[in-house]
Amino acid sequence: MSFLSLHFLFFLPVSCFLYFLVPRKVRWMVLLGASGVFYLSNSVPLSIFLLFTAFTTFWTGKRLGQIRKETDAFLKDWKEGKVHPQETKKEYRAKQDRKKRRQVLLAAGANIGVLCVLKYTGFLFSSLNQAMEALGLTGGLPGVSFLLPLGISFYTLQSVGYLIDVYRGRCEADTNFAKYLLFVSFFPQIVQGPISRYDQLAHQLYEGHSFDYHRVSMGAQLILWGYLKKLVITERLSMITDPIFQEYLNYSGITMLLGAALYGFQVYIDFSGGMDITRGIAQMLGIDMTENFARPYFARSLAEFWRRWHITLGAWMRDYVFYPISLSAAFSRLGKRTRKWFGTQTGKMIPTFLAMFITFLLVGIWHGAEWKYVAYGLWNAAIISSSILLEPFYKRMAEKLHIRTEGAGWKLFQMIRTFFLVSLGRFFSGAVSLESALTMMKSAFTVWNPEIFTDGTLLSFGLGRKDYLFVFILTLFIFAVGIYQERGGRVRETMSKQKLPLRWAFYLGAILILVLFGHYGPGYSAAEFVYQQF
Amino acid sequence: MREELMKILNELRPEVDFEKEKALIDDGVLDSFDIVALVGDLNDTFDVNINIEDLLPENFNSADAMIELITKLQGEE
Repeated sequence: MSFLSLHFLFFLPVSCFLYFLVPRKVRWMVLLGASGVFYLSNSVPLSIFLLFTAFTTFWTGKRLGQIRKETDAFLKDWKEGKVHPQETKKEYRAKQDRKKRRQVLLAAGANIGVLCVLKYTGFLFSSLNQAMEALGLTGGLPGVSFLLPLGISFYTLQSVGYLIDVYRGRCEADTNFAKYLLFVSFFPQIVQGPISRYDQLAHQLYEGHSFDYHRVSMGAQLILWGYLKKLVITERLSMITDPIFQEYLNYSGITMLLGAALYGFQVYIDFSGGMDITRGIAQMLGIDMTENFARPYFARSLAEFWRRWHITLGAWMRDYVFYPISLSAAFSRLGKRTRKWFGTQTGKMIPTFLAMFITFLLVGIWHGAEWKYVAYGLWNAAIISSSILLEPFYKRMAEKLHIRTEGAGWKLFQMIRTFFLVSLGRFFSGAVSLESALTMMKSAFTVWNPEIFTDGTLLSFGLGRKDYLFVFILTLFIFAVGIYQERGGRVRETMSKQKLPLRWAFYLGAILILVLFGHYGPGYSAAEFVYQQF
Repeated sequence: MREELMKILNELRPEVDFEKEKALIDDGVLDSFDIVALVGDLNDTFDVNINIEDLLPENFNSADAMIELITKLQGEE
């Protein structure tokens, strides 16, 4: 079952109805049941992987909780003078910490290991074969490709995040496996996130929420908005971008740039549309989910773009990869050395840049086991580090040219520059391979063919002039909503204050657009969400 | 301690008013790069060991919160 299937249109209202029907204390069970049905409807055998993750992280979390309790009890007794152990307080703490670390490393390693084996074995084998062939040997490793369990890249990170949070003392260990299983498998977020934090989400899932008309209406509007984005806009944009990226040899020059820019929009509208549906469903049930997007195309630098784009993945990588690496003892030693070699200012930055490259490399390959994603990660890291290094130069230039850096014009220039850099990165993530991405980029910068706007090339994708106008108006509308939100406006709150006829005219208009202009595939099932494949 | 901390903060981000700001992390005034640099400086200057567990928004949202964290860590040493 997917958000885009007809079954889901039946499944969702029934689940919501049952949720509010049963007593509040057991409402979480309805969510668990619904999540079970949703997950099992995709694959029964592959569910074993989700159960493995849920069980191992739950059990280890509990064990960590026990070790912490032991430590607390010991320290209390020690304070009260009840125990006089051979070891000092510091030694005892260190011993307990080692115990905890072993447990976390084992469970996190096992889960990340399963993810890596399922996701990356094929990539590893084919890369090894290529390397062996390049050395004149016969690459004899078989081609391998595993079926990926639904949402594995999302729920693995979420569960490992929980485990590390318990280890760090940020949250208490869960003691009820069935409830914890709901946290891992909650159906609105299992397909493509967000990657939630335990302390933010779990208690909301376990509490029973009362029916609230205002919240249900707000949630329904968000769902409608998400479907509009996905079915009306992205499906049309993909009619342009699919041929450009897949039959890239047929196109050149500006068409390539246009393809990359539109693909960036397409992925944003597709993914954020999916998130709107997820957050809308949760809101109807009384649950607030973390925002995954904060209007990324308003970012003024690539670093800011990443703080606004796929926020929960960025936060996960920051808290569990970037900080541990950059604050590790090894990196601290490295920092001391680089400061000695390159001077305080530059030397201080080198270990942080190195940690960032590692983090972005992981962000890249999290998307998939292909060289193009490796390049995608490194591209982002390279641009961010160079912009930090060049910042003093930019400042000097702006002063010399008397540019008002707080003026609207400069801000707009920064946004357009960021959009351009993001779009270039899309060549890597959207192309069929790294080679094709490089071919497309080369063509984009060496061929000048503005005639595509007049010679009918744009009409060869199957979209008519009206379609273009329609997509343009809706994109403009999304942009206008973005500006309103950037200024602190709350669209649905503002809407709810309007007079009833106007409000309903708007809702019915949106439904009508969805029904009339939504793209529905064979069997009324549109193309799946881009991020579902990760 | 406050003076030394203010010196570090002002060197890190001269354009920010650290006396007034109370949501340095929540409002995204300091990013992860700033935090890594700041932690290194605080560790060296105040002879403490700020762990990853201490990297919570509430410990870095304001200069006062940072002083509180440093004082707590110095007490544990």
